[in-house]
Amino acid sequence: MTQGAGVGAAAVRVQGLWKRFGQQVAVAGIDLELPAGRFIGLVGPNGAGKTTTLSMVTGLLRPDQGRVEVVGHDVWQDPVAVKARIGVLPEGLRLFDRLSGRELLGYSGRLRGLPGAEVDKRAAQLLDVLDLTGAQHKLVVDYSTGMRKKIGLAAALLHNPEVLFLDEPFEGVDPVSAQTIRGVLERYTASGATVVFSSHVMELVESLCDWVAVLAAGRIRAQGTLDEVRGGAPTLQQAFLELVGAHSRDTGSELDWLGGGAR
Amino acid sequence: MTHPADLRPTAPANPRPVGLTATVVRLKLSLLRNGLRQSGGRRAAFVVSAVAALLFAALQLLGLIALRGHAHAASLVGLLTAVLALGWAVMPLFFPSGDETLDPTRLVMLPLRPRPLVRALLTASLVGVGPLVTLMLLAGSAVCVAHGTAAGVVAVVAVALALLVCVALARAVAIANIRLLTSRRGRDLAVLSGLVIAVGAQVVNFGAQRLGVSGLAPLDPVYAVVRWLPPASAIGAVDSVSRGAYGVAAAQLALTTVALVLLVAAWARSLTRLMTSPDGSTLQRTESEGRERATSWAPARLLPAGRTGTVMERSLRYIWRDPKTKAAWVTSLAIGLIVPVFNALQGTGSIYFACFAAGMLGIQMYNQFGQDTSAFWMVALTISTPRDAYAELRARALALLLITLPYATLVTVLTTAVLGDWRRLPEVLGLSLALLGAMLATGAWTSARFPYSIPQEGYKNVAPGQSGLALISILGGMVAAALLCAPVLALTIWLNVSAGGDAWTWLLLPVGAGYGTAITALGLRLAAPRTAARLPEILAAVSKG
Repeated sequence: MTQGAGVGAAAVRVQGLWKRFGQQVAVAGIDLELPAGRFIGLVGPNGAGKTTTLSMVTGLLRPDQGRVEVVGHDVWQDPVAVKARIGVLPEGLRLFDRLSGRELLGYSGRLRGLPGAEVDKRAAQLLDVLDLTGAQHKLVVDYSTGMRKKIGLAAALLHNPEVLFLDEPFEGVDPVSAQTIRGVLERYTASGATVVFSSHVMELVESLCDWVAVLAAGRIRAQGTLDEVRGGAPTLQQAFLELVGAHSRDTGSELDWLGGGAR
Repeated sequence: MTHPADLRPTAPANPRPVGLTATVVRLKLSLLRNGLRQSGGRRAAFVVSAVAALLFAALQLLGLIALRGHAHAASLVGLLTAVLALGWAVMPLFFPSGDETLDPTRLVMLPLRPRPLVRALLTASLVGVGPLVTLMLLAGSAVCVAHGTAAGVVAVVAVALALLVCVALARAVAIANIRLLTSRRGRDLAVLSGLVIAVGAQVVNFGAQRLGVSGLAPLDPVYAVVRWLPPASAIGAVDSVSRGAYGVAAAQLALTTVALVLLVAAWARSLTRLMTSPDGSTLQRTESEGRERATSWAPARLLPAGRTGTVMERSLRYIWRDPKTKAAWVTSLAIGLIVPVFNALQGTGSIYFACFAAGMLGIQMYNQFGQDTSAFWMVALTISTPRDAYAELRARALALLLITLPYATLVTVLTTAVLGDWRRLPEVLGLSLALLGAMLATGAWTSARFPYSIPQEGYKNVAPGQSGLALISILGGMVAAALLCAPVLALTIWLNVSAGGDAWTWLLLPVGAGYGTAITALGLRLAAPRTAARLPEILAAVSKG
């Protein structure tokens, strides 16, 4: 794996990113520099601003303030250069789910201007690797969550992007599908591409990522290699809980009625 | 160690049904209150519509009392009750989420027995503006036909029975609807009921026209049937008592009671089944596992390559596969055909009504991105320049034209054939094309400027809070389209009124076609940069709800 920590080698550079929704500040001035060629985890509790940040970085949400560069191109000034180089799997947005898995990939690849024959070849291979060949002619609306994530991942990979953004790619995914997704992503980063994914499952991030950014309440609490962020703590989970300031409360006598038979 | 049996004496006693009814009624009131608390606009809308409904009901009440003694009064109130009941039956299909206590799937996890639950839900559905208005109308109807003490007593029973039948009917339909809606295929089918309404509205329209011509007398044969149909049979009973036909009245009341009992029983049965069986979507999934879809769609190969063909193919597939899109199209196709042809058949139509087809189908160009729902992100990620946006919009317009052009031509020819006015065919066709072009142009522009989301669940076509936007988009767009057609319209009028102009009306066909094409191209050109510049805003707008 390349050790691209130099300034010029940043896959994503974010400066002073802000986003408000009415009264609520979702992202409060984020500065980030994500090195290229890494498996990067964006971690944080629910409502930390992970989805908002990823949406702004990928050009799906307009920031109130701030700059975002992906592989050296400004997302809002130079969308032509950026959109061709990124793949995105958003969370909470639908796919064109009235297409079959196969049709969805064909649509997505051709929309990106790839030649039809190439799209069909790549689609067949992706469907095969992601174990979706058997369901390729079923409508995506009838897919399970895991299958949906996998077909979304296939659509995001089809045009061979330099940077892949995945929002909660493992959320609601069964262990078998998760392992498949993992295998594909590991192979993809091994070739020098960058994966940025968000998650709140620390064990997963710890086992997958070599670079981590911790997000809480719309701010970056820590960023760096896994070891740097983990610091002295035994696990990333521990380090994370300390960083976001969550202390395990003693529930001692408050719930003393709980358990031990119905009353 | 505690044996399970030891716990039995301390386990809670049977839940008291009285408490449940009160709780559900309170739940309904809270939901009503909270719904109003969400926004001032909603509160205002509620107050205005409630006042309007009550005012309307009060006027009806007065009107019905004034009609007392009229020769055809019984026919009128009988029919009114039937229509009211029909309204109650149809309402849950269109506002399934309008009443959350109507949705028993939300109560599935609670340990409730069906019988108290049925009682509680039935009582809760008597709370609200709708039941109040219905009660007023039913009371008015009863007063209208009740003459004498006996009839008065029967009227009280009849009104209560009729109201209960209405409410039970709504509940029974709603629950059948929920069962249908939990499977995807069922949901897809159910949305098509728009067609029923479109056709129904036309039938009512023609019925009303006939009544306007010949007064209330034609109602009498209808009443002869309706007075045996619950809940109108309850009002029929009041009428029968007033006429002294006690046996008939007893039969009518009995019929209404039986209907009520049957409705409640059917409802209770579906309720039990719904709350104890797995969600339909789970079953559907395993059923359709084996079925496969053809790999490639033959006509797709005829479409142009690149973005244009890709987008056209998806748009056309969605017309067939996406229930919301399909419903909108079927409704447009049906109304676009029915209005000109039915009017022509009735002899009331004008050949210019044929433009209706082009107009109705042109509406499908509006809110293009809203039809994508939040899947629009896939489009947004592939649009980097106004050129991409132009290709996207043009492809969508082309997909629409692929259906609309032959259809509008067909409807125009059909209308012309019925009216036998072949001389006017070219000008009407030309006008249709100009109108279609204007609709496509304004549709593309408003799609970029005023996108709004189309909720996929239920029958609503606008998410809460966006109805203003939808109104601006469609009404404003249609007015603009009409204005844009003005040159061709002016030319048509001029050629028709000026001496010797008739010989040149054929010119309107090429002129209309050329004008329509030019204005569509212009509209797409203007919409494209706006679309490209507002991608995140469009995505946010179409992802709501």
